[in-house]
Amino acid sequence: MILQSETPLPDTLANLLGLGGFGVAGEFVASFIAAFIVGNVMLAMTGVAGPWAKRKITAKFTDRIAANRIGPAGIGTIPADAVRLLAKELIVPEGADRPAWDIAPLIVAGSAMLGFAVIPMGSGIQVADPEVGLAYVFAVASIASLGMVMAGYASNNKYSMLGALRAVAQNLAYEIPLVITGVSVVLFTGSLRMSEIVAAQQETLISLGGVAIPSWFVFVNPFAFVLFLAANIAEVGRNPFDIPEAPTEIVAGFQTEYSSVYFVLLYLGEFLHIFLGGAITAVLFLGGAAGPGPESIGFLWFVVKIWAFFLFTQWLRSAAPRLRIDQLIEVGWKGMLELSFLNLVLTALIVGVVV
Amino acid sequence: MSSLQEGEETPEIESGETELEALLDDLIVDRDDHENAPAFVIRPDTVQETLGRLKEEAGYDHLSLVTAEEYPDRYESIYHLKKFDDPTDEVSIVVPTDAENPVSESAEPVFRTADWHEREAYDLVGIDYDDHPDLRRILLPETWQGHPMGRDYDQNRPQMVPLREHANPLEDDHRSESDSDTMFVNIGPHHPATHGVLHLETTLDGEQVVDVEPDIGYLHRNEEQMAQQSTYRYQIMPYPDRWDYISAGLLNEWAYARAAEDLADIEVPEYAQIIRTMGAELCRIAAHMLAVGTFALDIYGDFTAIFMYAIRDREKAQNILEDLTGQRLMFNYFRLGGVVWDLPEPREEFFEKVRSFTEELPELLEEYHDLITGNEILQMRTVGTGVLPEEVAKNYGATGPVARGSGIDYDIRRDDPYGYYDELDWEVPVEDGCDNFSRLLVRMREVEESAKIIEQCVDLLEDWPEEERNIQANVPRTLRPDDDTEIYRTVEGAKGELGVYIRADGTEKPARFKIRSPCFSNLQTLPEMSNGEYIPDMIAALGSLDIVLGEVDR
Repeated sequence: MILQSETPLPDTLANLLGLGGFGVAGEFVASFIAAFIVGNVMLAMTGVAGPWAKRKITAKFTDRIAANRIGPAGIGTIPADAVRLLAKELIVPEGADRPAWDIAPLIVAGSAMLGFAVIPMGSGIQVADPEVGLAYVFAVASIASLGMVMAGYASNNKYSMLGALRAVAQNLAYEIPLVITGVSVVLFTGSLRMSEIVAAQQETLISLGGVAIPSWFVFVNPFAFVLFLAANIAEVGRNPFDIPEAPTEIVAGFQTEYSSVYFVLLYLGEFLHIFLGGAITAVLFLGGAAGPGPESIGFLWFVVKIWAFFLFTQWLRSAAPRLRIDQLIEVGWKGMLELSFLNLVLTALIVGVVV
Repeated sequence: MSSLQEGEETPEIESGETELEALLDDLIVDRDDHENAPAFVIRPDTVQETLGRLKEEAGYDHLSLVTAEEYPDRYESIYHLKKFDDPTDEVSIVVPTDAENPVSESAEPVFRTADWHEREAYDLVGIDYDDHPDLRRILLPETWQGHPMGRDYDQNRPQMVPLREHANPLEDDHRSESDSDTMFVNIGPHHPATHGVLHLETTLDGEQVVDVEPDIGYLHRNEEQMAQQSTYRYQIMPYPDRWDYISAGLLNEWAYARAAEDLADIEVPEYAQIIRTMGAELCRIAAHMLAVGTFALDIYGDFTAIFMYAIRDREKAQNILEDLTGQRLMFNYFRLGGVVWDLPEPREEFFEKVRSFTEELPELLEEYHDLITGNEILQMRTVGTGVLPEEVAKNYGATGPVARGSGIDYDIRRDDPYGYYDELDWEVPVEDGCDNFSRLLVRMREVEESAKIIEQCVDLLEDWPEEERNIQANVPRTLRPDDDTEIYRTVEGAKGELGVYIRADGTEKPARFKIRSPCFSNLQTLPEMSNGEYIPDMIAALGSLDIVLGEVDR
């Protein structure tokens, strides 16, 4: 049983618009339209999350009201904020390393967008489905570290530099456990292709009183899920691992000197990375776009899952103290790395013996 | 009340005085007693010898305050000494120096806390201290001309300095030849973690703090001079609210009230004392709530649930204080001899409000403990970091929750009782962990104790017979304390020992008004706590000191 549509979105579009006859040019146009759609859907979600949902969620956790002036529940603050942020003056610090300083925000935001290309979002929305999908998504997501280092180094600011160094140290410490834990899922599926990873989770694991529990890897291997979640939070740099930014310590870390549109891009990039983290978690452990109801509403379930991940990060933000950088590195190298390898070996044994 | 206490203590002081005279026999030049303590006059080149003997042999281990003043014929530094074991056992050392060439030996080698106090005396009054490790201006900018508390200071002289002459307080990266791996960072004056305009000149080695030096004075208003230009009776009282402005207003007002009332022999009616006690403890709760909230903010790094909860609950205390005083921030509620007005009518409603607050407080604190002290990450961050050993804390004159978090059992409310505290049943929380966690715990436990005090005050006030509700003593319209009387009195403020020294000259305004700010002394300990630690730990240590720049800079 495969819920996921086998046809990638560009092909569907090509058929729909009759672009098939134009050869490579048609393929290119169809792919471009598909990427445009997916990109805008994700940007729209970020737009809702950043200026509005984040405030409302945090406010609920901390006994406040938050945005409530424009529109119902303050939802109208989104365009107002967008105009405000874009209209601000762009201040370029003296001695900034110019091309690097300008490119960094693009890299941070762009790397997350690239990741969405291979995510099967249900309802047939998937731009591409390469054989090495999982490796690809991890690879492009970690390009963001490069952007952070560039931003921190090029800003000519000591706080930025400290933030950049912290970002590198943190991402090195957490990337490996993240990927190793991801590999333990691949041991089950035997494939790096995203659609196949999702497909492998659709069978029924166990039937409890008529309710079929699907074999999502969160149920098959909850230990790996917890590990992956923790590494993922660190990877996207949210509390309690928001050490590269650490507002009370190093002001805003690598983004201290950014303002206006560049700041928006950096922020956008961070939110996209949260959603990308949620998307990877959903695909690897939560059955992708699977859920009750017809296959065509799969996209809705997918959105629910990545927003659940977003909600989780905001919950942590309201409740968890930040680790110190040395403690974080210690947890990463001495704890999570060992646990992730242990998990891999155990999974390999189980897969080898049971399956 | 005060006169009663003094009466009781007289014999003890008498016997102590003879011993002290014997101890300092060869050093004493003259006697110049203060209302609160015997005072010995010594020569300016024997300061270290005298203070050393008093500290080592007589046990005066707390240099509470250094006052400096210029007279027509001389300069004078006064060292107010106390014992941590018994703050009522006081002695003052008066060091007169030449008017032409005011040089006095520094007390810094004996008491580390004298460092900043003497820098302040140099800055504002103009006394030079020999042997001082770092005699620079502390509150005023480096380019300031003259010493504003000096007698010949011209208040009308413009202090504008061309930009090129102005020493930029934000220093450039300076790498020493020997140690090129360090980085110099200016933390503040505007930084998310400095809680006001504090500037930390920090030298970093990677993520570790090699050296940190607080640069203060951005909020300096010379509150002392303002008080010296105001009359005792009414004009000074609004100013204390502006020292520690984070809801500790009534505690500050009490510091002035206690000193002035003892100076002018005013007896405060018991009923007014109870109202004062209740109001002061409400202020303490509000101040500690903010301290806990902002400390959590420093550790958690965002405006998290715990910060907002603390603000929400602090608001309840603020509302009660608003009912009581009519103000939310600058209360101006105390008067010499009592308080300005009685409890708000209807009284039952007010008592009900206070009771419901104190009754729900333990439950609220339980929630805080779940969120903060029970959190393992917070424990990882705070236990064993920002360590301030007991002896170091004493040497720096640390008081309040900072001292009590370092195992020093010292609380003016209990050890040198005033108000109605000695009639009530409460405890002084002490933790001997000496770290950030201990200071946090002390503050949270003090909130509970304050609630206990408030409950008892409400019970007393409720049963107080209507005809005996006397809120103010009879105080002359114009107060003129006797010429040449000096007094130094302290109370337990939210941040520690808050004191006021007054010298009267027979007029209606004080001749010298000196504030002992607990934050000023506490902040001095920051380098001890954070050198060699990580940046986040330094930020946490700063948060755990709970300083208010309005009080540090005055």
